[in-house]
Amino acid sequence: MSRRGLLLMGQCMPCIKQNASKIRIRRMELDKNLNMYFKKDEFYFAHDPQKVCKTGDVVLIRELPERLTRLITHNVEKVVYPLGDITDPLTGKKVVVGNYREDIEMANQLFGKSEKAFDYEKAPPRGRLEGTKDFTHGETYIKYHEDGKDQPFAV
Amino acid sequence: MNKLLNIAQAGHRQFVREYAFKSDLKIKWMRPEKIACYKPEKSGDLAKLPPLKADELLPEYRDCKELDKADESVKSLFKLSNNASYLTTKFYRDEMVKEVQRHAQDFGSMEAKLAKMTAVIRRYQEHMDKHPRDKMIKVRLKELIDKRKKFLKYLRRWDYPRFEWILEKLDLVYKPPPTHFHWITRKESLQKLTDIYCENLKEERLEAYHKQLQAQQIPFLEEAIKKMQFVRQEQISCDVPVTVTEEKIADSKRQLEMLKELQQAEAAASSKKQNEDGFN
Repeated sequence: MSRRGLLLMGQCMPCIKQNASKIRIRRMELDKNLNMYFKKDEFYFAHDPQKVCKTGDVVLIRELPERLTRLITHNVEKVVYPLGDITDPLTGKKVVVGNYREDIEMANQLFGKSEKAFDYEKAPPRGRLEGTKDFTHGETYIKYHEDGKDQPFAV
Repeated sequence: MNKLLNIAQAGHRQFVREYAFKSDLKIKWMRPEKIACYKPEKSGDLAKLPPLKADELLPEYRDCKELDKADESVKSLFKLSNNASYLTTKFYRDEMVKEVQRHAQDFGSMEAKLAKMTAVIRRYQEHMDKHPRDKMIKVRLKELIDKRKKFLKYLRRWDYPRFEWILEKLDLVYKPPPTHFHWITRKESLQKLTDIYCENLKEERLEAYHKQLQAQQIPFLEEAIKKMQFVRQEQISCDVPVTVTEEKIADSKRQLEMLKELQQAEAAASSKKQNEDGFN
């Protein structure tokens, strides 16, 4: 009962459900024999009708007062860190790993930017290639049956 | 004994056993054809390299003025197609890097590296088609494909918009690896197919039962309305406290109207569909 209403932070995992995202909540669990902490994963299904979570995003989820289905018990509250589109919380600038995007852009300008180069302003938002060239939104499996149909997630 | 069955559709052979496993199961398992991991279908390359122009010269001699007035036999010595294959690979690599690099001196960024790898991978794939026993190139090709996959994974984590842009520019498909590897066996595959079959069967039967119950809704409601009215009349005439209220009857009637409208809409939609099918 003390955990009810808690906000949980976790990472989005691949999921084929239409209205929900699978969220992995990772905690450290003490092994009393070894006196060491090991990762302990819990998985929740969070209601996400617009599918704002992409695989790998860090999200906040909150428990619903009444579960929607047998499996969907939480609701996606907020995407804290969209994968590959991180904002530095201190400066408010966009970053790419250890560099600011504007620093990279400045260097490109100094060298003479190519017309064919990638441009963040012109790029559409994430997730436009899902289902055509990008299959990270679902779980892949090793193909085990030849049924003549197209199996895009088979490898 | 084992029989060799040549299935026309699949185009590859499959052994069919006649002992130890005789069954009239509805589930037929067809072993998927094994595709080598360096083939374009597995590596994720959707496009091939464009064909080389016949008069393409070596890059160092492209702007040479002497070659314009040189003899044809001398010119042919400087053609790319008449020189070593690795020079053509270099040429393709540079052309592909030009498509995605950030500036003219950019050869170390992630997209430039991916472009380099893609060009070399496609060249080596062409080479493997002609020389399938070239082990050195095969090893290099496998390593490059794995490396590119790893780099794409990193790029997605670091910079998702650029990742999608690179997939479009280089015409690649990215599929993450499965969470755990396993060999394909008949037993496991049949278990999976049986589970899928049972799941589908359950869904079919539930759907049929759902339709059956839906068909009963309208008669049930009509009967209920009649009975409620009768009970109300009896209660009024016998001067007993009335438990069936007018609102309840009105609610039930409204529900009945809604269900009838829904049924008519479904019937209209299905008849429209039949008409369209008839036209086709």
